[in-house]
Amino acid sequence: MPALSSTMTEGKIVEWLKKPGDKVARGESVLVVESDKADMDVESFNEGYLAAVLMPAGSTAPVGETIGLVVETEAEIAEAQAKAPSAPAAAAAAAPAPAPAAAPAPAAAAPVPAPVAAAPVPAPAPVANGRVVASPRAKKLASQHGVALESLRGSGPHGRIQAEDVERALGLTVAVPRVAEGSAPAATGSGNGSVAPAAAPAGNAFGRPGESVAFNTLQNAVNRNMVASLAVPTFRVGYTITTTKLDAFYKQVKSKGVTMTALLAKAVGVVLARHPQVNAATSADGSAMVYPAAVNVAVAVAMEDGGLITPVLANADKTDIHSLARNWADLVSRARSKQLQPEEYSTGTFTLSNLGMFGVDRFDAILPPGTGAILAVAASRPTVVGGKDGSIRVANQMQVNLTCDHRVIYGADAAAFLKDLAQLIETNPESLAF
Amino acid sequence: MISTTALTSGDAICFEPPGLVPFERAWAWQQELQQRLLEDPSAPEAVLLLEHEACYTLGRGADPSFLGFDPADPPAPLFRIDRGGEVTHHCPGQLVLYPVLNLQRHGADLHEYLRELEAVVIDLLAELGLQGGRIDGLTGVWCEGHKLAAIGVGARRWISQHGLALNVDADLQGFAAVVPCGIRDRPVGRVADWCPDLSASDLRAPLLAAFSRRFGLSLRPPTPQERLQGW
Repeated sequence: MPALSSTMTEGKIVEWLKKPGDKVARGESVLVVESDKADMDVESFNEGYLAAVLMPAGSTAPVGETIGLVVETEAEIAEAQAKAPSAPAAAAAAAPAPAPAAAPAPAAAAPVPAPVAAAPVPAPAPVANGRVVASPRAKKLASQHGVALESLRGSGPHGRIQAEDVERALGLTVAVPRVAEGSAPAATGSGNGSVAPAAAPAGNAFGRPGESVAFNTLQNAVNRNMVASLAVPTFRVGYTITTTKLDAFYKQVKSKGVTMTALLAKAVGVVLARHPQVNAATSADGSAMVYPAAVNVAVAVAMEDGGLITPVLANADKTDIHSLARNWADLVSRARSKQLQPEEYSTGTFTLSNLGMFGVDRFDAILPPGTGAILAVAASRPTVVGGKDGSIRVANQMQVNLTCDHRVIYGADAAAFLKDLAQLIETNPESLAF
Repeated sequence: MISTTALTSGDAICFEPPGLVPFERAWAWQQELQQRLLEDPSAPEAVLLLEHEACYTLGRGADPSFLGFDPADPPAPLFRIDRGGEVTHHCPGQLVLYPVLNLQRHGADLHEYLRELEAVVIDLLAELGLQGGRIDGLTGVWCEGHKLAAIGVGARRWISQHGLALNVDADLQGFAAVVPCGIRDRPVGRVADWCPDLSASDLRAPLLAAFSRRFGLSLRPPTPQERLQGW
């Protein structure tokens, strides 16, 4: 789904102008996307064939989502269809010619591998007696949404196609990086508000019972970092922050494409600028305190196929929330397609980890090496709050938990930082707009 | 954002077809102008200012249930057209502005373009002493809860067509047959309800001027070669 505006977070597919199997000339319109009161004919960048339509007309997809596959040769059509949605062979249906100034457009045009199934190597849909084996619910969902079951790979026993596989093909599942896009509880789903699936919360697993599965490269990298962190003397400080005002402000700016991630990163960035000690880290040889030149807030993103990555919102204190939201969408989309440059995920000076969207009420995080602190953000939920005067009211509150390297950051530093952060979020979230 | 358009200013051809224009003719003209820009993205941009004969149009993804009549037997000609948005109504007394622009010269941002079209009308209303405004999520220009201007655009390779329709002294009866823009609970209004002496023709020049300022384009008449077919 191409970004047709910096404030576009999702788009509606009005019409596919091509059918799967149709030849597509370079620059030829493939589909029509609607966002707000504007339609745009979306064209293919490349000559080829439309191999698969992953999101049917009438559905809504978040920007960056793979909505269709274009392949180079006729021979690849069947292959792409068989692999869809787990491994698009060629570029996703392209965005319109990107404007020089339209930053998000190239990201949308990048090939985005669809989420990988829970089982490591899902068997192709078995065809027994010429029929595809699928659960009744999967069949129903597939017919409702016009998904070809033959194009799916089943994650069930013996490759049986499950409802989740269809939902995944439609982009309806919890899908893709579990990104902090809100501190409200239970904000699952990939942004497709219109057809929220009945929650079928399948836990992630990389192996089947009885198997042992080697760590992949990314998992190994995370493991090394986590083990290295054991050499760091860390401690944790928690704080409860009332978010009623922040939530109200978020509602106002949400329609302009601002995400909760952008707001939290901005808030943390602004407060870090006033607390340079919390932005500092111990040098690699352990001999000095290193004060970075910028406030770069990294945000942890779990990858569906294992491991996690921490894309960086550079200069979060000085960047406006709209740009932060746009940058974040771009980073996440490229993180999914494994196209991030090292400086885009390794230059964080402080890390945010948000599990709020799962409704988690508290957790703590392990400190990434080379940084001084990481903030764990839990869900914001209505809570009965007692006032100093004995009054009782209900307010939205969330718990945050700061993990610090004690060599650089002392308890009082952490506490002062959290107090300032809470004050900003509780009393003046509107200031984040500037 | 669009403030950069002042830097990319140029001239644009202004077409003002006289009388009441059938919808299909204005649509064909827009397509002709769009085609010119598709073939040569550096060609001059253009804008059409006109009034339509009564008709209804539906956006490409529009929901026909917002029609209060049988689509096979409409009270006025009905068109399903290549723009975003739900049903709307055009009629005499309503000024229709169709900019055919290369939006890449104006920020390449569809939402921003919609906001700028709204700003054109808001600027114009301000000149009349009226305070027009936006309502979040309800594209258009509103005045005291009434929708004075409807907006819907379509683009191919960032070349726009369709645009805005401002009710000046139009008879609003025709809107009763539909749910304009799919919004049931907010009425449609017209400028003449606040400024009773104004007619659509009075606002032609000020509307073009507001458009010209907002988009940093100086408007000029077409050269003989630039004339439209069937003009």
